Amino acid sequence: MKKRLDFKNFSIYFDQYLFISITLLSVMGLFFLYSASQGDLNAVIKQAIFVGFGLILMFFVSQPDPDFYKTYSGLFLVISLILILATMIFGNEINGAKRWLNLGFFSLQTSEIIKISLPIFLAAYLYNRPLPISTKHTFLTLALICLTFFLIYRQPDLGTGLVVFMAGIYVLFLAGLSWRFIFISFGLFVLSLPFIWNNFLQPFQRQRILTYLDPSNDPFGSSWNITQSKIAIGSGGMQGKGYQEGSQANLNFLPEAETDFIFAVIAEEFGFIGICILLSIFFFILLRCLYLAFNARDRFCRLTIGGLSLVFASTLFINLGMVVGILPVVGMPMPLISKGGSSLLSFYIAFGIIMSMATHKKLMQK
Amino acid sequence: MIDLEERYIEKKSFFNRLIIVYVFFSIVFSYFLYKAYSLQVYEYGEYESAALENKTKEVLVQPVRGIIYDRNGTIIVNNIPTYDLIIKPWLISNLEAFLNELQMIIEIDDSNLDYVKENFKIKASYNRELTVKKNLSSKEIARFEVRSYKFPNAFIDERYSRKNYYPNLFSHSIGYVGGMDNYQLENIFKNQGITQSETIFKYSNGYQIGKTGIESTYDKELRGLFGKKIYEVDARGKLLKELKFIPPINGNNLFTSLDIEAQKIAFEQMNDRRGAVVAVEIDSGSIVTYISTPSFSTNEISNGISSKEFNKLVNDKNKPFFDRASQGRYSPASTIKPAIGLFGLENNIIDWDFSIDDPGFFVLPEDQRVYRGWREGGHGNVNLERAMIVSSNTFFFSLAYKSDINILIDYLSNFGFGKKVCVDCFNPDVGLLPDPEWKMNNLNFGWFKGDTVNLGVGQGYLSATPLQLAYYSSILANRGELKKLSFIGQDSTATEEIPLKNINNNDWNRMHKSMIGVIESYEGTAKRLQDLKTYTVAAKSGTVELVSTDTKEDYKIIRENEGNRDHAIIIAFGPMPNPEYAVSVVIENGESGGSVAGPVAIAVLNSLIKK
Repeated sequence: MKKRLDFKNFSIYFDQYLFISITLLSVMGLFFLYSASQGDLNAVIKQAIFVGFGLILMFFVSQPDPDFYKTYSGLFLVISLILILATMIFGNEINGAKRWLNLGFFSLQTSEIIKISLPIFLAAYLYNRPLPISTKHTFLTLALICLTFFLIYRQPDLGTGLVVFMAGIYVLFLAGLSWRFIFISFGLFVLSLPFIWNNFLQPFQRQRILTYLDPSNDPFGSSWNITQSKIAIGSGGMQGKGYQEGSQANLNFLPEAETDFIFAVIAEEFGFIGICILLSIFFFILLRCLYLAFNARDRFCRLTIGGLSLVFASTLFINLGMVVGILPVVGMPMPLISKGGSSLLSFYIAFGIIMSMATHKKLMQK
Repeated sequence: MIDLEERYIEKKSFFNRLIIVYVFFSIVFSYFLYKAYSLQVYEYGEYESAALENKTKEVLVQPVRGIIYDRNGTIIVNNIPTYDLIIKPWLISNLEAFLNELQMIIEIDDSNLDYVKENFKIKASYNRELTVKKNLSSKEIARFEVRSYKFPNAFIDERYSRKNYYPNLFSHSIGYVGGMDNYQLENIFKNQGITQSETIFKYSNGYQIGKTGIESTYDKELRGLFGKKIYEVDARGKLLKELKFIPPINGNNLFTSLDIEAQKIAFEQMNDRRGAVVAVEIDSGSIVTYISTPSFSTNEISNGISSKEFNKLVNDKNKPFFDRASQGRYSPASTIKPAIGLFGLENNIIDWDFSIDDPGFFVLPEDQRVYRGWREGGHGNVNLERAMIVSSNTFFFSLAYKSDINILIDYLSNFGFGKKVCVDCFNPDVGLLPDPEWKMNNLNFGWFKGDTVNLGVGQGYLSATPLQLAYYSSILANRGELKKLSFIGQDSTATEEIPLKNINNNDWNRMHKSMIGVIESYEGTAKRLQDLKTYTVAAKSGTVELVSTDTKEDYKIIRENEGNRDHAIIIAFGPMPNPEYAVSVVIENGESGGSVAGPVAIAVLNSLIKK
């Protein structure tokens, strides 16, 4: 249940179910990371610091009243966009992509911030629009979504770009996007697919999609990842090979075992039973978010909870889809589990905001 | 401010839409779960073995080839170890320092140093060994071994090379080993049910296969079976640890029937003349001497020969690579006469008392064509025994004239002509036993009576290899029955028997007596051999006419060219009356079977019979 602990002068706002399950996932993540990194204690400690810091951050983020976020959502968005532009100029280039901004103590993946600030801003922008959303607001919203997507896409980071794009679309959809608009634009999208293919995708992205469609096409090129991931998952069997016993991860057959493909490590070492337990925690979190959205105090809170929880769900599903070989390989971490501070912190902030939206009750309106 | 009605509609729309998205996600979620289930449960076996295959690497371990012995247990071909200094690059942190320290003990030349420096990094990162110096001297080995505690990252390892202790004596019988093409290699691996992969070699020359001779025919037995080392590897192929070692099964040693002493004698006697010597232990059909000259050194061929040297051998007009013993075709000439005589007896065309008057030539009644003997004026009255001793052509011309060609051909094949007579000889030729059908097909002529007459003295189209002549000699010695020839004298080889109805032991005795007369009689064609031995030998010499001449004067003219001179040929067996060994000798352009080929045959028999 939503908790509001009343002390003498102030209240503490948090949701114990979300808090416990998120903490549980984070701790499990550290445990998996130790195995996936082949016992690299430094990596685990670094991640543990992020977890600790993140949990505190989540707690603090959940304290302000939703109105605070509503009021400053525009500012947050502008700051996020500035950070992204700064990344484009000052960012560290790793593997041909400029995604990280060096803050001295920590490299921030700035696109992770905007996947929170964009849905909040859109919720604030759309919460009091009459239904269905007018064409003007629809196009303004879409323009903003596309701009943000384009900025991230240029880094290039197609995966995060898609999540941000989807985050915006979710809020727009939940806010009451007209069905007519949905059907028309979907039709147009299908028709424009060849154009997107030819003009917007990088050759390596096209290759990834082609490989996805026919993995036998090039067994040691881009589908190497998928093949090794499938071998890792499949060889885990029902019960798994045991903690730190996964040969695919430990002998480096599995690429990106600590980040994008950590799910394959878990599947290899803990088997189908292990991943069922893990995924049921994720599923519980999503159901809890659904419940919280239904019981939120107003439209802004509902939209924000819905939007942010769907960002979380999309990230998870894109990651899973990629690891089990259903979706093309786009860089996408498993939320709360994969190594990487930016992704971790952004989800803690997101859940902090969800808790804020869910636990603050509005004084009865006169 | 939105009114309550609108708030309700808005809330309902929101819930519906959120539920739609959640339902969609639930479906996707279920699909992922199903996908994971099918990977981990339905296809588990497939992926489990894929993971296993990923992390294990099989490295083959080459077996050592079997040793080849002579019939007295003396080693002919052995594996000689050379000692190489090998390092483990992944255990060496500072290569320069390591090499400096190593060079204080063992001198390493610049080309080796460069090779090590060039390959060090990659070998280190894959945990592979690296050879620093080959062929260490015993002094270097000693210097290293006493300091080996200082070098846990280096060791001395044996690498073999195949060595024949008598490199020129067994060039054609045992042959040599060498590299092979991919097809052969694949076959070897396929037969053993393994796939080709990285190999730990025992031979410095790598994969080896018998190329010729016994090394080739017994390659499968000599080769052995590859062993395996199974390593755990990481994704880069770096060897992490040895999981399992299945040792190779080294090749079987091979005890041949060859006799080193007799080989030496035969080789020395041939003295680089072109020709061949084959001797057989009659009882077992095993080949004890097998020489083709001139010869070459097999060690150079198997362990590296300069292309200049090689070309010299290939282009040598005496053709040292050519195995005259099993591939050289020679007319048997007069050595065929015992078989023709036996044919006459078997078919009741003649008996031992039958005689003719030999004027020195035979006139073919059909066309008055004259067939000459070797001696002008002839041999006077000759019966079969005397015809053998003096080698009367006329007697055998007339005997052949009375014969049916098809029955004769059939009969001659019993003596090994036109047949494979050896079970394990390398690529043997079967010679030519001509019949009317062959002549029509190949020369487009019908069979003339004259062809049959020529066959009676072993001239014309008939040809045989020295190996076949040795078989023939043996079967004569053994009274019509013999095991097929082999290099290892197998007991399992079936005995071949000439079907004889009208020839009894007495006939064989008289045939042997006639052949003894060839040497022992005052008018025998090989009487010069009498004093070369201390026991009795039966023989039949022959002189293969390469150019047909009517008179001795004509021959003197054509013999100016060495290549036109007659081949000398002899078959012999002894000691009589119970022969143990039979031999055949062919010396190209040697002119006289009795006096040129004969001494070689006697020397070989001497060497064999002494024992």
